[in-house]
Amino acid sequence: MTFAERMLRIDRRIIFLVIGFCTLIPLLYPVGLPIKISQEVRGVYDHIESLPEGSVFLLSLDFDPASKPELHPQSISLLRHAFRKNLRVIALTLWVSGTGMADQVITQVAREMGKESGKDYVFLGWSPGGTAVIINMGQDLYGAFPADYNGKPTKALPVLQGVASLRDVNYAVSLGAGNPGVEAWYVFGKDKYKFELGGGCTGVMAPGLYPLLRSGQINGLIGGLRGAAEYESLIGQKGKAVAGMDAQSATHLAIIVLVIMCNLFYFSSRNRTRQQGQSEA
Amino acid sequence: MPVETIIGAWVATGLTLFIFSFLYKDNPLFKLAENLYVGVSVGYTIVKTYDTVIVQLIWKPIVENGEWALLIPVAIGILMLTRYVPKAAWISRYAFAFIVGVGSGLAIPRTISSFILKQIEDTVRPLLALAPGEGVTFTWNLLNPASSLNTIIILVGVSSVLFYFFFSVEHTGPGRVVARTGIMFLMIAFGAAFGYTVMARMSLLIGRLTDLIEFTDPSYGRPSLWLLGMTILTLVVMARRSSSLPPEEK
Repeated sequence: MTFAERMLRIDRRIIFLVIGFCTLIPLLYPVGLPIKISQEVRGVYDHIESLPEGSVFLLSLDFDPASKPELHPQSISLLRHAFRKNLRVIALTLWVSGTGMADQVITQVAREMGKESGKDYVFLGWSPGGTAVIINMGQDLYGAFPADYNGKPTKALPVLQGVASLRDVNYAVSLGAGNPGVEAWYVFGKDKYKFELGGGCTGVMAPGLYPLLRSGQINGLIGGLRGAAEYESLIGQKGKAVAGMDAQSATHLAIIVLVIMCNLFYFSSRNRTRQQGQSEA
Repeated sequence: MPVETIIGAWVATGLTLFIFSFLYKDNPLFKLAENLYVGVSVGYTIVKTYDTVIVQLIWKPIVENGEWALLIPVAIGILMLTRYVPKAAWISRYAFAFIVGVGSGLAIPRTISSFILKQIEDTVRPLLALAPGEGVTFTWNLLNPASSLNTIIILVGVSSVLFYFFFSVEHTGPGRVVARTGIMFLMIAFGAAFGYTVMARMSLLIGRLTDLIEFTDPSYGRPSLWLLGMTILTLVVMARRSSSLPPEEK
């Protein structure tokens, strides 16, 4: 058996170990590789930056703990930015399994920024129906969410003064890990109720959302951990996403090297088999 | 540090390591974590759904506010449960008909508007731009999504991929070239999707490893180190027991 053939039959656990070390070492000893800000992430940042104080910012946390590493840093950065700009934040989730996590992230950032529930922000929680919730909110926000997550009647909340439906929202961002997510907010929200929409998503979903970005259906897109790191850099509060970028680069490099090596070994092994076949003939 | 945070750190670390142990081979620790994950997810969803739907959106509005009109959707919902009674299962069709009708009515026009009309509008952009004072211009910037060059690339990509999926004409001669161009565009799209998928999966690994590193802190009681040792020890013991068993009992 040649070296190439032996490498093609390598125990996959060795590859797992290589990837594991390529991830672990940069996390333990970061080098701080530069992060370039993309236009799509800047689109979301610039729009929030342009909103006047007291504008209504809706953040839909449409993900569950399975997507936490990518979307949790995005939600923290967006909330920090919105609170710093003194926007009125309306948060909700369309994913029942993400309700507790969404409440935890909003409460944590609000406490850090000195914001008060009901006055500066509200977490509406989860309501059943997925896309139907968006349509309900477009018609009557109080009908879709009669009470917030803590059971307080939404009609009595100062943060929702003057907000009757989605038409009164100045900017909405959906952080989606699937359906319902960014696409649902566009189809059943923005397209009908005409508010500006931005998106955040997992890396897996990003290529599918680029057509919406190019056509102007969404005005910005934060894609995966990379997008979260860019947003953290933009607001000047580096967190877990920036910390993970060195590891991300190292693992990508390792995977590129593995792909090239696999191809080299494969073609080397195939050529040898062909040569053997010709010599036998 | 609160006790619940420390307990949470130990549970999260243990379950993460148990799941990772599958990378070595399938084992009871992995199965324990997997079953716990499924059980907790389903349990959480049931409790949240019961509290939000039954208590907050049905029971309280009807009993406390007298919103009797809510009994109509409740009745339609109950009709669905007749699926479990074979003789009355046909009644559930009314509920399904209502849901399919309303769902289609809401979704079809919006989906056509958002994903077909808007995307066609974006695909057939003018190839040349009319700039004030400069007349007709052609922009070559590949990095600008709205440039004339990118508009042509998109037009060629969409046309060739559509032709590739047009099976009524044999892909020979010039048609073969167009179909091959379509395949190239498809391969680039698959490559981009795969690249993003790798990035996403690595991000998940980074997220877990970041937590594991954080939980090596003495304030948590170093659960990462203790539980890593315990997991490795358990795997070694199980591997030894498995190798000492006669072949028919393995």
